[in-house]
Amino acid sequence: MEVLPKVESVKEVAIDEAEEDRQDEVNEDLLKLEETLCNIQITPTPCSLPERAQEVDLSQYPTSYKENSPQEKLLLAIADNFCCQYMHLYPDRKPLLLCPLNECGVQKCVSTTLRPTLLSYPELYSWEGCASFVSEFLSLELLDPPIDPPRHLYSPTWLMQTQRGSCFDFSTLLCSLLLGAGYNAYCVSGYAVKEMCLLNQSLQECPLLVTHVKGKATEQKRQVKKYSVKPPRDLRSGFEQRQEERRQSDAQAILLKKQQEAERLQEERERLPPDPLLGLRVHCWVLILSGNREVPENFFIDPLTGKSLSTTNKCFLGIESIWNHQNYWVNMQDCRFGCAEMNFDLGDAVKWEYLLYGTTGQSLLLIPDMKKQQEAEDDEEEEVDDPKVFEMPPSWVNQINISQQDMETRCPGGMKVIQYRKAKLEKFAPYLLPDGLVTRLTTYSDLDCTQPSTVKEWYQHRHDHLEERELKKTSNVNIEHFRPGRSYALKSHRYITMAPETERQMDFYSHARADGLARRVEMPFEMTETFEDRPDFIYHRHVVFGKRVKVFGPSNTEAPDQGQRPLQKVVERFNRDRSKPAGEDVAERIFLVSEDRIQVTYHREDDRIIPAWRNFIKPRDSGDSQNPHSFTPQMASTFQVDPFEKPSKNLFLYEMLVHMMKEEERVALKVKESEKEVRAILGVREQEESSIELHISIYNTARNERARCHREALERTAKEERLRQEEKELDFLAPFLAQLGDPENLTRQAALQLRNDCLADLKQRLIDKANLIQARFERETQELQQKQQWYQKNQLTMTKEDEDEYLAYCSDAMFRIHILKLRLSRHKDKAPQKYMALDERLRRDPRLANHLW
Amino acid sequence: MSRLYDTAEPSLVDEELLQKAVEEQGPQDQAGQIAKEEGIQYDEVCQLRLDYKNILKIDHLWQFTSLTKLQLDNNIIEKIEGLGRLTNLKWLDLSFNNIEGIEGLDSLVKLEDLSLYNNRISVIENMDTLLNLHVLSIGNNFLAQLENVIYLRKFKNLRTLNLAGNPICKEDRYKIFVAAYLPELVYLDFRLLDEQTREQAFGKYQYAIEEMRHNEAQERRAMDARQEQEDELKLHRDAFVELLNGPYLFDSMYADDAEAAKLAYLPGVSVLLETYKNHLVALCVQVFEIGLAQRGRREDEVKSFFDCSREAVDDNQQRAAQIAADFEKARRQVMSEMQQATDTRLLEAQMNHCSEEINQLCDSLMTQELQLVDQLEDIIKDFERNISDMVAGFIEVVQGIFAQCRDLENHHHEKLLEIAVATLERVAKNELEEDMPDDVRMLFVDKDTVINAVSGSHDTHLLKIDNREDELMTRCNSWMSALMKSVQDEEVKRNRKRISEIHNYIDYVRDQLDEMQHEHH
Repeated sequence: MEVLPKVESVKEVAIDEAEEDRQDEVNEDLLKLEETLCNIQITPTPCSLPERAQEVDLSQYPTSYKENSPQEKLLLAIADNFCCQYMHLYPDRKPLLLCPLNECGVQKCVSTTLRPTLLSYPELYSWEGCASFVSEFLSLELLDPPIDPPRHLYSPTWLMQTQRGSCFDFSTLLCSLLLGAGYNAYCVSGYAVKEMCLLNQSLQECPLLVTHVKGKATEQKRQVKKYSVKPPRDLRSGFEQRQEERRQSDAQAILLKKQQEAERLQEERERLPPDPLLGLRVHCWVLILSGNREVPENFFIDPLTGKSLSTTNKCFLGIESIWNHQNYWVNMQDCRFGCAEMNFDLGDAVKWEYLLYGTTGQSLLLIPDMKKQQEAEDDEEEEVDDPKVFEMPPSWVNQINISQQDMETRCPGGMKVIQYRKAKLEKFAPYLLPDGLVTRLTTYSDLDCTQPSTVKEWYQHRHDHLEERELKKTSNVNIEHFRPGRSYALKSHRYITMAPETERQMDFYSHARADGLARRVEMPFEMTETFEDRPDFIYHRHVVFGKRVKVFGPSNTEAPDQGQRPLQKVVERFNRDRSKPAGEDVAERIFLVSEDRIQVTYHREDDRIIPAWRNFIKPRDSGDSQNPHSFTPQMASTFQVDPFEKPSKNLFLYEMLVHMMKEEERVALKVKESEKEVRAILGVREQEESSIELHISIYNTARNERARCHREALERTAKEERLRQEEKELDFLAPFLAQLGDPENLTRQAALQLRNDCLADLKQRLIDKANLIQARFERETQELQQKQQWYQKNQLTMTKEDEDEYLAYCSDAMFRIHILKLRLSRHKDKAPQKYMALDERLRRDPRLANHLW
Repeated sequence: MSRLYDTAEPSLVDEELLQKAVEEQGPQDQAGQIAKEEGIQYDEVCQLRLDYKNILKIDHLWQFTSLTKLQLDNNIIEKIEGLGRLTNLKWLDLSFNNIEGIEGLDSLVKLEDLSLYNNRISVIENMDTLLNLHVLSIGNNFLAQLENVIYLRKFKNLRTLNLAGNPICKEDRYKIFVAAYLPELVYLDFRLLDEQTREQAFGKYQYAIEEMRHNEAQERRAMDARQEQEDELKLHRDAFVELLNGPYLFDSMYADDAEAAKLAYLPGVSVLLETYKNHLVALCVQVFEIGLAQRGRREDEVKSFFDCSREAVDDNQQRAAQIAADFEKARRQVMSEMQQATDTRLLEAQMNHCSEEINQLCDSLMTQELQLVDQLEDIIKDFERNISDMVAGFIEVVQGIFAQCRDLENHHHEKLLEIAVATLERVAKNELEEDMPDDVRMLFVDKDTVINAVSGSHDTHLLKIDNREDELMTRCNSWMSALMKSVQDEEVKRNRKRISEIHNYIDYVRDQLDEMQHEHH
């Protein structure tokens, strides 16, 4: 409404107001609708994969799961001894988790439960990939009670099948993968804060929302050159300026204070009640020591979230023991102030009490090369001195096996929901949802997560190339992003409704378009297009539409939307074309269509500040070449930058006016095309949204329907081929043998008889077939003759249709007769060959061969 | 084939003919009317057709300076003339005439399409400057020398050539020959030159062509080398130290010094000369190096100055342009409003407001300009001071070195004098062993002659050194003053231009306002 000209009459204004009121009402209705809609909530019910059978068949497990080897028994004895001593020496410390029961109820040492495994998936070669896989693949079972370590520790094999486990199981699986990938990884049993133990991330910011602040804004300081001009003298009062500054800084300080206050309050509100079990909650996580795989610093990984944390993080409250697949160490350091001061030199026997004395006993903080060397030396020495060092027995667990499908599906059931602070993140496996949704992030404006502010969705494999959609709940604005490759090279689309001629913005991949369009912004009565790299140097086109003229009549009522809105004004801007002089290079063209005027502004010359321009008033009978007197010099007014330049000739002005009028028509056409394109895009989008298709790569054999069909068809034909082959091998002697009562051995007599019968039978069948064809042939011929006779009789009295019918019948019949004739002649040709072939095969038949020759 | 004189009366190129042709071929309909009312200027006509006019002599075409296409075909022209001023011509058609030689085309350097079809030309010549030629049609002529085609090699852009109907076409090797010598050619006699012909041609004339290519390449290399040398000398000249990086000064000192040549025969002088030369050359090289270094510094300084001043001007210009553009936008709005307004009182107020605005604009633009002038004045002063310091320093150093040169010369002179006197004594005593040429012996007739000769030589040398020094200083100083003058002139010019531009605009705007006022009264 703002774009209406000011000269509108009062009446129209009144109408507008009424319209506005109605608009408000509509808005209210909309709000109510939204509320009611909000109440109706559905949780996405993905076509979930069948729950994994909880009951894993334990009988399938190898014996190593159910029994202990002698080595392991010895280890258990050592461990038992160790525990006893420990209990005796430190009666006030909690019992160690050293030998829990496995899924088969057998006591196993935690170190042997680790099974270093390197898998063939490239993403599992880095710790980030492993951690995110484990955190997504397993779902957490809380420890019960939360202050004691579990009694059971399941093998990774079990975990892969059940996809459920405690934090200890998480760590075991993750540590196994990390050890396999070459990291110096350890499981850590200790204590952590409640949020970590319970996998409660609702106090953390969602990692997808944290925008990484770019290192340093490229603040290229403008170097002061030798001859830089001095800035013009500032004539304002310094005193006033200072006063103003002071006032502003005061105001700012107050504002800042308020803000801080608000933040503080906010924080207080968010703070959780203190945890009564603080420091007692048992947790298990993974430690990676520096050295291997170019890890520069020790760090922790929380297996539940898959994130790395510093070893000084306040969330970790204490460490009881750590282990890897080779040894087990008990922490002897004070943990009253968390893990910040912890030393991870496992070779230091004062700080870390080891279970097994052995090769892993020396300092691990030595430089690897030296260590190796030393190790070698040590090995030699040990071999000589002390060959009986007990080493950790090999793991009793089978190699971890992750199927391609598990890798893809990740989360149990293919989906996972994580609650963050003011945000909810939902993850889905690709192809799980029919619309290709893989991630949905809902952010809320309040802490209780009741009022969604934005919903951001990421898609994969969409046939319409949709990649990302963002819905701002407050303004109802939708933003969609597309991958390259769509029709019209659409890149992103921002809209409120899909109806045409409303507010929207479309971005395009301009280099993929012939017209170089980069962006089109629409308002109810305006349209702005931006171009890039155009050969005609245009970069901007702004169109103002007038109100649609209401034509009363039947022609317009059918399709009111299709009526073209009249153009009111078109502004085109051009970049400088250096091949032309500035005075001839148009910078801006304004077509004031409603006022019948055209304004052309040229580029400024390089050393000028004012551009030249020409204004034209279009002749009334626009473009009519029949009337030669329509142009007068008054129609054009010119401002020349250089007063000494010769004024341009009337001829030139006239030609230019004609050219401009032609251009105006062309531009109007372009605008029409643009509007049409918008409608087309909207139409396509709507259609795509109503029937979403997912794109399946031709290499994806599991999902590609066509490929599967093709494969199945191939298999089927192969099978049929096989069947046919078998059929060919059919024993044609069988019925005749059966007549003879299936004798074991044939006499010569019988064999001859058999052969003759067989041949006679074939002969009979061939003859029968020929006779059949013959009979059909004769019948057809006869019918045709009858028809012909009938025709000749009634020829005179026949209507045109009957005659046509008769002719059609005749040609059909002739065709059939011809075919039958052909068939018969071919049969006649083939029959002897078939006969001979059978004879030949009978001769070759092993059962008859002996007797016939 | 050419029409004969007697079949029709030859006509002249006169006013009437031209006027008629221009009017016929100019804009039509309404545009034509407008053009007629205004009158057509010959120097604005771009195309002209004067065919079938029985023209014998090209004349009176010098006014058509912006002509790009001229057709003079089917006339009885015998000589190409009177086209020298049509330098914008791209297309010239002289086919079906009686021309006997190619001439008078030297100034038509933009020519791309030239047709001389059906004339009486026997040699392709006088076209050295037409390097933009794309199409050449010279069929149906009297070309008899196939080797003449090699002349066309210099036209690197030539793609289409028509030679059909010439005596040379009867030769068997014609096509192959042309294809071989003009490898860039695409169409010959309106037929595509196919790959096969080209290969055949190359096979046949391989050696000749390669030799030619080799020669051409060598010529090009020689040219490049010459160019490079010239550039280097230019650089040295700019540093005012040309010809100081070697024994040139020394050589020039002794070049027109007859006495010195005689004195060189004296015993021991050659050694002396050798050391003298070495020392002097060393000093010259010193000057040379200092000069080059100083030139670099000066160049940097000048560049930095111009960069900064350009930056300042651009910046200022941007701001002023923004102010002007904003004003213009508002003005158009107001003007269109005023045109529709009816209330005279309101209009009056608006008019006043408008003229107020115009004054304000004028003020603000002028302020901007004055600011810039002040700023530029400051930096120009700085620049002048720095540059003159630099030049003065350079000259001082150079003067020091030249003083050393003079000392050297004095020293040399003393030594020489000693030897001369000693020789004189020995000559007097007749103790001289070596034979001396007679003219040298003539010097040693008495003491005065010897001393005169030696000091004459000495004076010449000193003069040379002084001259070189003076030259360096004057050129350096004049360079500086020229630079400063140009800088100041440029600034004044820029300032004038801007101010006249502002006034022009303000006047225009005021006029418009006045016009509006008149209309309403």
